[in-house]
Amino acid sequence: MSQQKTLSQNKEALLKSYNKRMKDDIKSMVDNFIEIIKLARVPQDEDSQVLRPLQNNQDQYEMHVRACNVVRAGECLMKLISDIKQYLVLNDFPSINEAISQNTRFDKNMQNECDSRLCLLRDDVASELYELEEEYYSSAYK
Amino acid sequence: MALSVNVSVEAAQEYQVQEITYDGQEIYTQPLSMSENLTKLAHKIDFGKVDDDDSQDHLESTPNFCGEEQKELVTFQPSLWPWDSVRTKLRSALTEISVLVDVLNIAKEKRYMVLDPVSQDPPEVKNVAILVAKKKGLVSAAAIIQKGAERLRISQAEGKNRSLSDFHLELLNMRQKWRLRKQGSLILGDLSYRSVGSRFWQNGTYEVTKSEQPNTTVTSLSPGGPQVPRPSALKVTLPSELEGNSYIHVVIQKDTETIAAGDFTSPFISPIHSDSHWMNKLEGAQNVLFCKELFSQLAREAVQLQPSIPNLVVGNQITASLFPGVQLCFSLCHLTAQDKSKATILPAPLENKAVLEHSLYQLLREHHHQNIHLPTPHPVTGTLGVSKRRQIAGPEALDRHTLMESCKTNTWLEQIIEQTQHTILRLRTMYIIDTYASENKDPLIVAHWASLSSPTCSSVKINIMTHGYETIYRTPLVIHVERKTLKAVCRDGRVMNLSYEPQELTYLLMSQVSQHQVNAVQCLAKVMGWKVLSSSSHVGVGPVEPIGNASSVVMASSTGDRVIAIRCGPQTDIQVSVSSSPQEQDFYPSTLVRDRKWQNLSGSFREVALEKMEGKNFLNKMENLMACLTTC
Repeated sequence: MSQQKTLSQNKEALLKSYNKRMKDDIKSMVDNFIEIIKLARVPQDEDSQVLRPLQNNQDQYEMHVRACNVVRAGECLMKLISDIKQYLVLNDFPSINEAISQNTRFDKNMQNECDSRLCLLRDDVASELYELEEEYYSSAYK
Repeated sequence: MALSVNVSVEAAQEYQVQEITYDGQEIYTQPLSMSENLTKLAHKIDFGKVDDDDSQDHLESTPNFCGEEQKELVTFQPSLWPWDSVRTKLRSALTEISVLVDVLNIAKEKRYMVLDPVSQDPPEVKNVAILVAKKKGLVSAAAIIQKGAERLRISQAEGKNRSLSDFHLELLNMRQKWRLRKQGSLILGDLSYRSVGSRFWQNGTYEVTKSEQPNTTVTSLSPGGPQVPRPSALKVTLPSELEGNSYIHVVIQKDTETIAAGDFTSPFISPIHSDSHWMNKLEGAQNVLFCKELFSQLAREAVQLQPSIPNLVVGNQITASLFPGVQLCFSLCHLTAQDKSKATILPAPLENKAVLEHSLYQLLREHHHQNIHLPTPHPVTGTLGVSKRRQIAGPEALDRHTLMESCKTNTWLEQIIEQTQHTILRLRTMYIIDTYASENKDPLIVAHWASLSSPTCSSVKINIMTHGYETIYRTPLVIHVERKTLKAVCRDGRVMNLSYEPQELTYLLMSQVSQHQVNAVQCLAKVMGWKVLSSSSHVGVGPVEPIGNASSVVMASSTGDRVIAIRCGPQTDIQVSVSSSPQEQDFYPSTLVRDRKWQNLSGSFREVALEKMEGKNFLNKMENLMACLTTC
């Protein structure tokens, strides 16, 4: 019972972590994008401490890093999708059970069909064999 | 020093001409102030330029002997020290910093040096330049994002365009047919039969990974060519002992020469290649596991059983004796892709008995089934796993012996030995009947094998009859072939138990044939209007038969003037003798028999030369004989 509880707790935690990962990644994408847009603004007033070319370079680097962050978040989302798919594939027991029962049904049908066919075949062969035996043992060439 | 003249060198007091207007007026440039001059000169210094000579000077000037030595070392063997350039740069940087620190220290004192701010024009803030810089930054950022998006798009379109099928779809496919679970970042599968009741120690864990197959095959495919199956996106890693394919080879050996070679491999099965589909690989591995479990159980039983001729377990072979001179031999054949070349050069061994192999598999399946399908305890609170027979043992008040008997079950080895014994016995019986039927053409022996049979019991119905006289008389005989014995049920309901020795069945057939002849003649006699005077199936007189007893019949014609006596033994030929009541020979009166009337007494029997008679078979000849002896 306790094991089941911990299992469900684990599952709950895993699902929550998936949710959190998704939100974090999307947030990081949006934030970084907004920051890039903010950086694109040309400052009108001269209030910065550092020199202008320096500031320009810094802005360029920041844009680079933020763009990379956006891409990374995208990749993370892809990974998350793949993880969720895998989790679903491996742990979706109702559909697996359904697949198993369907397979079982199919195999049972196949078995029945094979059995009945074999029975028919056996009967046919047996009756044929009876006549053939009759013929064989009555013939002079044996 | 009268000649000494002071020559002062100074700049001309004229200003540099900046421009001369058309009217000849010169516009002079304003002279630079001291600080402006300094700034101008300072601007000319390229701080970014690396001056090798400079650093060399610095290095030489530093009073560091160790550094000097190393420097020399480096100049002589520059290739030995790859970090030389780094060291040089670091050293020059250190020097610069030291100088800077010194300057700062001196400037702080304000006694020797004063730092004056250089009045310089504030750099012109060009919004266009900033805009261009921002644009450049945005363009590069956009390029990065676009590249990332492109990569994502490619990975999305991968499933449709690439030769590999979709990983998750394949995984779903696999999950529906195999047991999978996730452990950490690994996907592990289990192909053992534990879930259906197996208790074998070996676990069949395998690992599923995404296959990293290069996408090279697609380019070589021609569009009109045959459809090549797409390589799977899943890669299955199996434990090395489960790779390949295996089966159990069952052989019945007649001679004792090749007993237990111990290293049997069979070329019959095709091994599974390493690049085949995961389905085939897993099925093969599961089969290997199954065969191993079966074989280990058989080997255990073979060692535990104590038959009169001990079982041999050598290497991957088990040999158990069935009948004297006949052995049953199981071999576990396991073939991996590496063994393929080895297997093909081996000579083909004895024929595999597929039916017995199948029964072995059935035994293990039944065992698995029993392990998880326990009968329900009758009071639902009772112990689980008690068989039905034991449940009724209490109410039925069974004694200990019966209980023990009911609990005893045959081991698999015993069961398979029984089945094999039955198979051998059946084949033997078949062979004996067929050879006997082909040797004896006169009464026809027709055998019909029953189509319904069990693995340890089958039956054959034998009809003995004469060609052309089938409706007059036939001798039926049923033989049940069991494990070690034969049971023959005769026409009169007698049951005879025969051993597995083939000779016994032959004798039985012989005696049945001889009795059939005699009985058939009796029936024929009725049809022909003859009277059976006496008949006996076990004649006590005459020459002694080597096997069994001869049977005989004596018949008289309807008028009673002709008598036919027939004697038929299992191994001796049929003897037919005729006696006629008015003896046909010319009468010559003798001293003892003076009157002709004594000729009316039946005379002595004279044997008929059957082989010279007209007729296809014995009954036909007898019919002819009776017909010609019948007087109207």
